[in-house]
Amino acid sequence: MGLILLTQGIISLLVILSLAPMFAGLVNKQKAIFTGRIGAPVVQPYYELKRLLRKETINATSASFISSISPVINVVTVAIAAAMLPIGFARPLISFEGDIILFAYVLGLARFFQILAAMDIGSSFEGMGAAREATFAVFAEPIFFFTLGSVAFISGLTSMYDIYHSVRLDNVSYIVFIIVCSISVFILAVTECSRMPVDDPNTHLELTMIHEVMILDNSGIDLFLYQYSSYIKLFIYAILETSFFYPFGVQNYTLAIVIFAVVTLILSASLATVETITSRFKMKNIPEYLLFATAIGVLNLLIYTFTK
Amino acid sequence: MENVLSILFCLSLFYLSVTSRVKAYVTVLQMQGLLLTVLLVLPFVKHFSLYALILPTTLFIIKVVFIPRYINKIIRDLDIKRVIEPTIQQFTFLLLVIFSMTIIFIASNILSKSTDIETIPFASGFSAVVVGILVIIFRKKLILHVAGFLVLENGIFLFGIAVASELPVMIEIGMLLDVFVVVFLMGIALNRISSTLSGFEVTALGRLKD
Repeated sequence: MGLILLTQGIISLLVILSLAPMFAGLVNKQKAIFTGRIGAPVVQPYYELKRLLRKETINATSASFISSISPVINVVTVAIAAAMLPIGFARPLISFEGDIILFAYVLGLARFFQILAAMDIGSSFEGMGAAREATFAVFAEPIFFFTLGSVAFISGLTSMYDIYHSVRLDNVSYIVFIIVCSISVFILAVTECSRMPVDDPNTHLELTMIHEVMILDNSGIDLFLYQYSSYIKLFIYAILETSFFYPFGVQNYTLAIVIFAVVTLILSASLATVETITSRFKMKNIPEYLLFATAIGVLNLLIYTFTK
Repeated sequence: MENVLSILFCLSLFYLSVTSRVKAYVTVLQMQGLLLTVLLVLPFVKHFSLYALILPTTLFIIKVVFIPRYINKIIRDLDIKRVIEPTIQQFTFLLLVIFSMTIIFIASNILSKSTDIETIPFASGFSAVVVGILVIIFRKKLILHVAGFLVLENGIFLFGIAVASELPVMIEIGMLLDVFVVVFLMGIALNRISSTLSGFEVTALGRLKD
């Protein structure tokens, strides 16, 4: 039995790791269609990763060992976070009471090392990006704890797997709750993965960038690891969103796969729509945007504390 | 279902406190009017009576159709700038809203133990009243004071729904008439002010002399 659980966990981790670039490609493709272009194929991120693998890695002369270990730490921590996600009905590889907090801080560790590496290079641009990333991370963390925390609070469980399995979609107010939750998870995904209203993933004007500017001086394998970890991160948040909608009460695999595909498509479509129709916020407006998502989380918590 | 609509109502309040467009205020007012109409119609789905439909219909016509159109007309006619001018930062404003909402929810939960009220609609209504007042305090534009007043009024309406499932219809209609007259008078006043002074801000009114 233990062996089966282990294999299931490993398979779901592999699924996340392999499908992650595809999701980013899906978003880009839909974005292209929205703006009237044909766009790169959905598998384009894989080609880009392959191209980066072949390139030579060059580090700045002022860079210390932090710059060389940071990409590895990034990818490993993000993979650990991915291993905690319940995909399908299988128990994730890492699952214990309170893993929801570890999940948040493992991602926090990845961000910490990325910020350190950005400052380590010694360029003022990277330093600026690092400062911005740190500032917005402060506002992004409460969103996670107030949304997933409110679900945890309602169910009284603290393990990601148990929390998601306690979601029951037969209750009308629960559905609304989940929809309201998914708004704030969406905003969280947009922030953490540096997508459009917060940060523009395509811009290469240093003054306006947040995430992209931090990896400006990286190349080759290092850049590959950073890019790959950001793809995984985006997919992690997508899974956080889709898992809300699984029919955990009925263990129906076909239904689960259909729901997964549909919700992923809807999510990528809404990411693409938001990126097409909105422009990037002014830096000073981003904290408001993030606090708005926190407010939704607080509202969730309030409402479900008092209707119980 | 009432709870669900109240949640949406609270979400609209949050949106109101982060948006920086005058137009968005009008949209939110329209949406809140729609929510209130649905809330009023809901109890009558099961036992239908024509008499009971008077209030929702009036509410719909006044809050969803008439007042937003009128405010839009004022905005267009007086050529009001589309960005709101808050006196404090939006971030602080939102923090204030979250804080007061939390207190209100806790307080109404305590209240609901001793009296017969529904916590969520009651608290949402109460929060709308507070947010309305906050909008009036912390916005410079006069047209937004009207909007704040209308939000406050929406809150009182929701309040009424939470406290007693049916308020006397005449009182509610009287309230609606009041609101309508106030908005109308405000519009006329704004027109007058615009012909005398060039700005539509409260700060300009502070300098008025004989």
